[in-house]
Amino acid sequence: MRNKLSWFAVPYVVWMAVMVVIPILIMVVYAFTAGEPGAGEFEVTAENFTGMSVYSSVFLRSFRLALIATLVCLLIGYPAAYWMAHEGPGFQRVAMALIMLPMWMNFLLRTYSWMSILENNGLLNQLFRSVGLVDLYNQIACRLAADPALYEPTAYIPMIGSSGAVVLGMVYNYLPFMILPIYSVIVKLDRSLLEAARDLGADSRRVFRRVILPLSLPGVLSGVTMVFVPSVSTFAISRLLGGGTQMMLGDLIEQQFLGGAYDPHLGAAISMVMMVIVVVCMVVMNRFGEGEGEAVML
Amino acid sequence: MKRNGRVGSRLFIGLTFLFLYAPILLLIVFSFNAGDSGAVWKGFSLHWYGRLFRNRLIMESVYTTLLVSLLATVIATAAGTFAAIGLYSLGRRKREALLTVNSIPMMNADIVTGVSLCLFFVAFFQGWGVFAKWFNAQELALMGHALRLPDRLVLGFGTLLLAHVAFNIPYVILNVAPKLRQMDRNLMDAAQDLGCTWMQAFWRVMLPEIKPGIVSGALIAFTMSIDDFIISYFTAGSASSTLAMTIYGMTKKRVTPEINAVSTLLFLSVLALLVLSNLKEARQEARHRRGAASAPSALERARQKFSGPRFRWVRRGAAAALVCAFAASVSFLSYATGSRPVVNVCSMGEYIDESLITQFEEATGIRVNYQTAESNEALYSLLKSGGADYDVVVASDYMVGRFIAEDMLDKLDYSRIPNFSLVDGRFRNLAFDPANEYTVPYTWGTLGIIYNTAMVDEEITSWGALYDGRYAGNVLLINNSRDALGEALLYLGYSVNTTDEQEIRQACAVIEDANRRGVFQGRVSDEVYQKMEGGNAAIATYYAGDFVTMQSNNEDLSFVIPEEGSNWFVDAMCMLKDAPHREEAHRWINFIASTEANLANMHYIGYASPNREALEQYPDYYLEQEGEELDPEIYDIMVTPPEVLERCQAYQNLPPATLSLYNSLWIQLGLS
Repeated sequence: MRNKLSWFAVPYVVWMAVMVVIPILIMVVYAFTAGEPGAGEFEVTAENFTGMSVYSSVFLRSFRLALIATLVCLLIGYPAAYWMAHEGPGFQRVAMALIMLPMWMNFLLRTYSWMSILENNGLLNQLFRSVGLVDLYNQIACRLAADPALYEPTAYIPMIGSSGAVVLGMVYNYLPFMILPIYSVIVKLDRSLLEAARDLGADSRRVFRRVILPLSLPGVLSGVTMVFVPSVSTFAISRLLGGGTQMMLGDLIEQQFLGGAYDPHLGAAISMVMMVIVVVCMVVMNRFGEGEGEAVML
Repeated sequence: MKRNGRVGSRLFIGLTFLFLYAPILLLIVFSFNAGDSGAVWKGFSLHWYGRLFRNRLIMESVYTTLLVSLLATVIATAAGTFAAIGLYSLGRRKREALLTVNSIPMMNADIVTGVSLCLFFVAFFQGWGVFAKWFNAQELALMGHALRLPDRLVLGFGTLLLAHVAFNIPYVILNVAPKLRQMDRNLMDAAQDLGCTWMQAFWRVMLPEIKPGIVSGALIAFTMSIDDFIISYFTAGSASSTLAMTIYGMTKKRVTPEINAVSTLLFLSVLALLVLSNLKEARQEARHRRGAASAPSALERARQKFSGPRFRWVRRGAAAALVCAFAASVSFLSYATGSRPVVNVCSMGEYIDESLITQFEEATGIRVNYQTAESNEALYSLLKSGGADYDVVVASDYMVGRFIAEDMLDKLDYSRIPNFSLVDGRFRNLAFDPANEYTVPYTWGTLGIIYNTAMVDEEITSWGALYDGRYAGNVLLINNSRDALGEALLYLGYSVNTTDEQEIRQACAVIEDANRRGVFQGRVSDEVYQKMEGGNAAIATYYAGDFVTMQSNNEDLSFVIPEEGSNWFVDAMCMLKDAPHREEAHRWINFIASTEANLANMHYIGYASPNREALEQYPDYYLEQEGEELDPEIYDIMVTPPEVLERCQAYQNLPPATLSLYNSLWIQLGLS
């Protein structure tokens, strides 16, 4: 009986070999070779990696922005998930539905709506202007400027095209990925544990720190990876909200394949480095928290 | 005390939701805007909804998105469920190893998955091409029919679907696996001991037990498919595009509120679905609480009646009919789109009067797949990556030169393009195609500085304005290496075609220095429209034709060809090597070269036509279309007069060493 059922695994093993393992192997081959594709001439080289130090600033920026975005997501997402889990079942169901709902619209639509909000003549700047915030900004900037006489007042507060806008876009798009796993862990916590802690004399702060927080760590870890990985590799958000000035790893890779600088070998090499770094990060994190893949949504 | 805490927490949750929903609400509100801006309200109107349903590009991409998501969800759910069952019948060690491989696509960044799949497909297609050529050479026959394999495969709907299935299956497995773990393994044995066949035990015992996992797996798979952009972007190739890809393409130029309209419709339908399913769940729960005492509703009674054993065959029949209908509609659609003659066109920039496409389709019955690439360089990448099956491409002079040098084009048969005779002598036999064997000119124009006179007090006459600290934060750098470095070369008094490394590095240093001083607001290509029209930047460089369009939306804009000179370019149509639709390609090129098409294009995109008659007739055409005289100044900007053209140089294809210098300098510029 058992053996019969295990035959079900065979097609999938073949599928995985073809669609998961071989593509990655091809990517590795590309990363270690150079030459014109189609010409059939490949030479083995490590040049793609040694020349990569030029891009260290892109690596740094990507990781910095993604880390900030992850942190902000955590700071918003954890309390939101925690408090949501303490509401009534009706509230929870509606809240969960509302969190999932934006994901059913494509994330580019959501990012695009931020563009019209953050533009120099966008909605937010119109609002700022009408409440006098722009004047305030001008006064402060004039005070801070090295030579106040030369300072020219602006008609808007620059937002789009800054790294802040990119981080905002990441937080906005990936916040649900942080809330959902944390929520699903907290909601399943054994209430009797909390009662026991309280009976044993812990105040609520201590209960949170010593019981709830450690037990919700797997959710936090999976939330962190689910926010960090897409953030570090995004190219659409940085293109739309960063105005092309905030080049990230994703942009760099995209440029090598479908953008202006055609070099799939370099693109494959950068992808590979990114893959390795992400995997290492995750292995390290899982060591810390023994996080199980269990907490992935729903 | 407790109450206060609750108010605080609810406030926090409320603010979080406000953050999540405010942009969506704005999107919805502005879908009813009478104007075409996403930030300025001009009154209520529904006309964007009407426009949406007539917009083929958007409607087709919505259809592609839904179809690929649904198909991928169905396939991935079935495959993932069986795979999970199979994995759980294996020994522990094997299972763990396989589950690790299974989690690779989930752990990897989307872009890595997308890139690896793209490389895999392209490599597979190359291998397949070799195999198919060998196979066809064998001239095998089966029952009188010659067996032939298609020797050219390209990225398209099939690869898109495969990629979606590939990244969905792991999520299904992840959701089904815990249910399998919770299930008592003896249940299956018990069922069989009690006389069930193996199949029955599977359908009656195992499936109901793991059903919640399957449902949530399917839900997540669908969500992931709908939400995906990056993997689709790398695997869909040229022929199909999902909604996300269409939006991404549009955000480079000008997103029309049709996108707001489509998002509103999507959002509302998803909202309706969610409300319905929540109501159903809530009702079920309420019934649970009340117990079975209350009478079931009519719907419920009907459901119970049909779920009885007597109706088993009815149910199975209905399911089979549904599947057949689905399969039939899919195959009909693929037939309907596949059987008509097609021509695949790709142009760099967004760059045609779309009514011409419809006219051509109606006149000839040939379907036109019209795609755009962001720049000449992006078009080159697209062609080289092997994912595209274009017949006709439109590119600028120097890039066409590169295509010819790298043997990527086929010669045209000019006897099938009678309209070529209308092309003015100035635009024939140009340096990139000296014998004029490969190309038919499409448009021509000049590069210049566009500035907002409301934001710039002086009259700009030099490229130096681009690097001037006075306009810090208000200058847009053009997002392609050739033009951006070309401008700096001209500023320094060098030739735009120089191969001297020192000169190019100096030019790069000029840009780098300005960049360090914060002069540039960003690097833009077609985004320049919304930036300049909306007064979001003061100075940009772009092409004369685009300026004419921008100026009609913002009167304050002014165009100048700096005194250091500039670039003049000819964009040309050419046919790719081994293009599959040669006859259609020639007919398309001939149609676009006609005087009528040239006039329409000139009016729509603002670029000058190479067609002699069109150039002469344009002022009259303008009067006819707009009901007013064409401003001669605007005509001079569109059709640059010879004395200005004298100052301008054409780009030539640069040697590979210089090209790679351009590339590396350009990427490094983006880093600082």
